[in-house]
Amino acid sequence: MSTEIAIETRNLCKTFGRRASKRIEAVKHLNLEVRAGQVYGFLGPNGAGKSTTIRMMLDLIHSTAGDVYLYGRHVHRHHEILRRVGTLVEGATFYNFLSGRRNLEVLARTANCYDPRRIEQLLEQVGLAERANQRVKRYSTGMKQRLGLAAALLSDPDLLILDEPTNGLDPGGMHEIRTFIRRLVDEQGKTVFLSSHLLGEVEQVCDRVAIINLGEIVREGAVDELLAGKSTLRVEARPLQRAAEVLRQYWPIVTNETWLTVSASHEDSPHVVRRLVEAGVDVYQVAAQRQTLEEYFLAVVRENGSHA
Amino acid sequence: MRNLFRAEWIKIAGNRWVAGCLIWIFPIGAVAFFAVAGLVLALSSSARTGLRQDEVFLWTEQAIGVWNFPNNPVGRLILLGFTAVVFAGEYQWQTWKNVVPRNRRAALILIKFLALGAFVVLAFSLMSALWTAGWAVLTRIADVSYGPRITWAVLQDFGEDYALAAGLAFTSTLIAAGYAALAAMFTRSILGGVIAGFALTFVENLSIVALMLIGWFLDIPRIVHLYRFTPGYNLINVASWINDNAPNTMRPFEESKYSDIVFSDSLGFSVALLALWVFGLIALTVTLFQRQDITS
Repeated sequence: MSTEIAIETRNLCKTFGRRASKRIEAVKHLNLEVRAGQVYGFLGPNGAGKSTTIRMMLDLIHSTAGDVYLYGRHVHRHHEILRRVGTLVEGATFYNFLSGRRNLEVLARTANCYDPRRIEQLLEQVGLAERANQRVKRYSTGMKQRLGLAAALLSDPDLLILDEPTNGLDPGGMHEIRTFIRRLVDEQGKTVFLSSHLLGEVEQVCDRVAIINLGEIVREGAVDELLAGKSTLRVEARPLQRAAEVLRQYWPIVTNETWLTVSASHEDSPHVVRRLVEAGVDVYQVAAQRQTLEEYFLAVVRENGSHA
Repeated sequence: MRNLFRAEWIKIAGNRWVAGCLIWIFPIGAVAFFAVAGLVLALSSSARTGLRQDEVFLWTEQAIGVWNFPNNPVGRLILLGFTAVVFAGEYQWQTWKNVVPRNRRAALILIKFLALGAFVVLAFSLMSALWTAGWAVLTRIADVSYGPRITWAVLQDFGEDYALAAGLAFTSTLIAAGYAALAAMFTRSILGGVIAGFALTFVENLSIVALMLIGWFLDIPRIVHLYRFTPGYNLINVASWINDNAPNTMRPFEESKYSDIVFSDSLGFSVALLALWVFGLIALTVTLFQRQDITS
């Protein structure tokens, strides 16, 4: 991994609304450092401030306080640094009355990087070559998303900021995009800043993640480090409701219709069983399993006072 | 800048429904008009006689007369509708978020104004050529003279007036675009942009009535002079200078004790004011856009 810092935010804040009663602090003193040459996941529940942060990184929204630097240059004062960035922000939207190819031409010309061969190559790469002359109005959400990815890559950027890039894609398409993102980083040395709700996807593709909640970063680190030693216990017991009540007093839990996932280590297993038996609950199975990023995320978000 | 202009042009021309219904309809309508009128003249001798008794037909007047349309209140409303779609569309289609990171905001706005103005001038140049040629055909069918004879002096005079008329249409488009851009920025929707833009134009056009009422009731009639600073008045005044080589004389309080108040301004005054309006509207749009958060 490179030592160059692709994205840096310093004390970044954004407040919406002028009147005190309607004021919303969407992002609070956010400090983030994303090194080049990795896939960096940006996670958070709805309304956590992910999109606002991304928009500030792209100079779409002006920060109330603090700064964003891309490759060491202030994004607002040195707008030209955004030439090194490709973006896909909150769902791909285009000029519906133009064809896919024309949309890419418009965006490439706007960025002063128009190259018809590059457009053809990208259309081929995202699987839209055959329908490139069709108006975008007739594209499915998945097709628009693929076109969005092609648009993000038009200028062959060093940094890709992708907000929910697999929205609207079928499982096959999602897998393709994941592989594509990984290849961009591993083979071409690009940096990808990825915001996604699909935590399984993030776990598979990201090197590091930051979890944002209520406008603040609550966890940050390499995926392996965050999940190291974070095992869970899967508990099957009857009555399940009573089991949940008992265990909730001691460990964070996630309930399911048929079992409970308890954020506890393998060493806690006897204690879990003892508590349940003492409370008159029948225990059928207690199995240790490695905690997934999704479980980790839910636990962190709950701990920090919001429901995901 | 050339690439940016081309991108803007593709967007404007590519929105075929909007460009067709609000701009291309004029040249297309002209062709349809001359086709029908030519057929009637060819078939009806009374129509040919009627045309012969009509006014004198001058190709110079036909070619320039077409350019009056973008400057009159109805033409300005149509231009405003068109420009409002171009500006507000970026908000409604949520395309600013794709475009803004790719170039400087000021450049994006300036090019939008320039491309819109150029597009309208191109459409009306085509309309003017069709209109002039159409009347040439009609006068030929009716055997009516269609002067003046083409001489160097005629061409020189015509060239000057034509350039002024086209420049005025360009200016009118920029002013309409300025209103539309401001309206779009605040409403962030096409419908809202069109309605707010129309409201701005109506307020400007009706401000003479409001000023007259205020002047009358407060007995300070000179307040009506403020109307001389509106774009609408100055567009008509410049058009009058181009067409009649004289100012557009206007007496707001006709046949009253204030009838001595007359607007009769020089070409220089109106040109300067229009330039100020164009510069002011573009500068205001750029400044506001620079500070705006793109949240959609």
